Amino acid sequence: MKLLIKQGVIVNPDFKKRADILIENSQISRIEENISEQGADKIISAEGKFIFPGFIDLHTHLRTPGREDEEDLLSGSLSATKGGFTTLLSMPNTIPPIDNYEIALRIRKEAEKIGLVDIYPVGAITKNREGKEISEFGFLAEAGCLAVSDDGFPLKETSLLRRALEYAENFNLLVISHCEDLSLSKGGLIRESPLSAEWGIPSVPEISETVDLVRQIEVARYLNSRVHFAHISSKRSAELIKRAKEEGINITAETCPHYFTFSLKEIEESGFSPLYKVNPPLGREEDKLALKEALKEGVIDVIATDHAPHTYLEKEVDFKSAEFGMIGLEFALPLSLGLVREGFLSLEDLTCRLSYRPAQILNLKDRGYIKEGLRADLTIVDTEREQLITKENIFSKSKNTPLLGKVLKGEVVYTIYKGKIVYSSSR
Amino acid sequence: MGEWQRKHLLGLKDLSREEIEVILNSAQAFKEVSEREVKKVPALRGKTVVNLFFEPSTRTKTSFELAAKRLSADVVNFSSSGSSLFKGETILDTLKNIEAYSVDIFVLRHSVSGVAFYLSQRTTSSVVNAGDGQNEHPTQALLDMFTVREKLGSLENLKVAIIGDIYHSRVARSNIWGFSKFSSSVYVCAPKTLIPKYFDNLPCKITYSLKTALSQAQVVIMLRIQKERMKERFFSSQREYVKYYSLNEENLKFLPPEALVLHPGPVNWDIEIASSLKEKVSNLILEQVSNGLAVRMAVLYLLAEKRSYEVID
Repeated sequence: MKLLIKQGVIVNPDFKKRADILIENSQISRIEENISEQGADKIISAEGKFIFPGFIDLHTHLRTPGREDEEDLLSGSLSATKGGFTTLLSMPNTIPPIDNYEIALRIRKEAEKIGLVDIYPVGAITKNREGKEISEFGFLAEAGCLAVSDDGFPLKETSLLRRALEYAENFNLLVISHCEDLSLSKGGLIRESPLSAEWGIPSVPEISETVDLVRQIEVARYLNSRVHFAHISSKRSAELIKRAKEEGINITAETCPHYFTFSLKEIEESGFSPLYKVNPPLGREEDKLALKEALKEGVIDVIATDHAPHTYLEKEVDFKSAEFGMIGLEFALPLSLGLVREGFLSLEDLTCRLSYRPAQILNLKDRGYIKEGLRADLTIVDTEREQLITKENIFSKSKNTPLLGKVLKGEVVYTIYKGKIVYSSSR
Repeated sequence: MGEWQRKHLLGLKDLSREEIEVILNSAQAFKEVSEREVKKVPALRGKTVVNLFFEPSTRTKTSFELAAKRLSADVVNFSSSGSSLFKGETILDTLKNIEAYSVDIFVLRHSVSGVAFYLSQRTTSSVVNAGDGQNEHPTQALLDMFTVREKLGSLENLKVAIIGDIYHSRVARSNIWGFSKFSSSVYVCAPKTLIPKYFDNLPCKITYSLKTALSQAQVVIMLRIQKERMKERFFSSQREYVKYYSLNEENLKFLPPEALVLHPGPVNWDIEIASSLKEKVSNLILEQVSNGLAVRMAVLYLLAEKRSYEVID
């Protein structure tokens, strides 16, 4: 099977150029200005479109096993293809948690059978995610895990954090860390702010994230270990990460589209719609701006979705009873393109944040860049096309997003995974 | 006198001074009704008022129920404490279900701030906020203001001190919004732990000294303090709280003689207010209760009137 993509603009982290791409046997076999159509089994015209290395999401909740009513591997895979993602990490806060070889392997195998996107289960750092004993990292790595995380919870005990970082290094696993001081965040629903004071809403202070971040940076510095920080949400955190990186500490960080798209303003204007309830909570306008700057400067390495599907009943309740989280796989591209339109990022930067850096962080050498010999994971994008977000056109099983009814600019037109077209926009 | 134009009463934050005056003037008229031998008027005949209480309450619910009955409305009480999910129903489903009976006014009490606003945007009925979390309790503040206006003749340029658990108090927030509309200065006073960070964004002055708060105040609103706050580390002991923040004979002398002492009730005697002052302050606190009825009648009446204009339009 030979797939030929004609006349698209290839967007690598370091350059853009118009070229044809020939795909053979799931790999990119040739990139040239003009490749003859002769012998191609299928031709995609990408005139006026941009071709990115397939997006890689370091932070997805696929709810499998245990909450397949919210999302399962198939619906999650479909949602990913629609969003242009070809690789993703599935978080272990499942029932039971992904804390052993058998569960991890099962997810990896089932996802392979579906074959729409490369799904790597993330192993739980601690058995049963209880924050006590360390899981069998070696076996988890053998089952196909690239990373471990107790996402949703911080590692409260610093000695445990230390051992987890050391032990993970043993098996070349990435540790993804959730920063939150639970004694400060307890009961909180939105960021502590003039809005929380005015409305008397239980709140989470900014220091809940930053105090824990500083603690974890110090452990990483001391051990000279690597840590990746999940869903960074505040200006101050970005400053602390910048400082640590300047000191040469081996850390990386992600933020999510909702943190650079929404703020407390939307919470207030929506009349406290629980669809804006996420953890960590949305920040102020100045946090939003600082996160955009941090993505521009590379202080924050990655845009990850924290795709968190929830059923209707878990979200359409009062703000306090509602679960935390919103779905994100299908909106990451258009929301990130917003940063390009606002002048914060170039398209090359976008490749960096959505593909290249995630691949580097995961040490996946066969993807994250478009060149001959690498795996043919490609996302073809129409940056100008507009889409109305409705429940009907969301592929995820869950519809919990405040973007319903909104028009977003920029859409994936083709997603190619291992050389196969796994998604094409029907329009 | 202006006209009432609003569909809902969600809080005093968004009300203008004129709108507050419309309610208070109307309450004045209804207070006279309650003093008659026949205490009932047909103003809301054929209207349906539903008390939707998702948090335990006897005082406020009774007051609203009686207010609606004295206006000849049909009243239904729906109470459900604990989870917002009642038999798997979301709060919005619950509201919609009852709304299907052509309800005119929902009187809503809920333990989560902002719920009244959230539901008001999703219903065709009118919503009266009877307390949402720690946000607002507008009719309580209105009855406080009514009581003050009646006693002092004006709400203009007063010094109002609100003392106690500001952090968790919807009564404090509503009173701050209300009194500040009349160029009165509102002082809030509590240990720093019981005043939220960023509270200086509200139109009030913050002090941690009871003496500063009380000095030359014409109105003092004492708030109920819950002992559970000690476990949550908001203060360390009852005796220490009482020493620094309780109203007693000694610190009463900072107040001018005509000053009013209010309390939303029920009072924890010897905690917020010394029991030795019971004789002195109880009458006014009970007057607050009866004024509450008049204020709630006024609110229900104005909202119902607004609805009937809409029908004619």
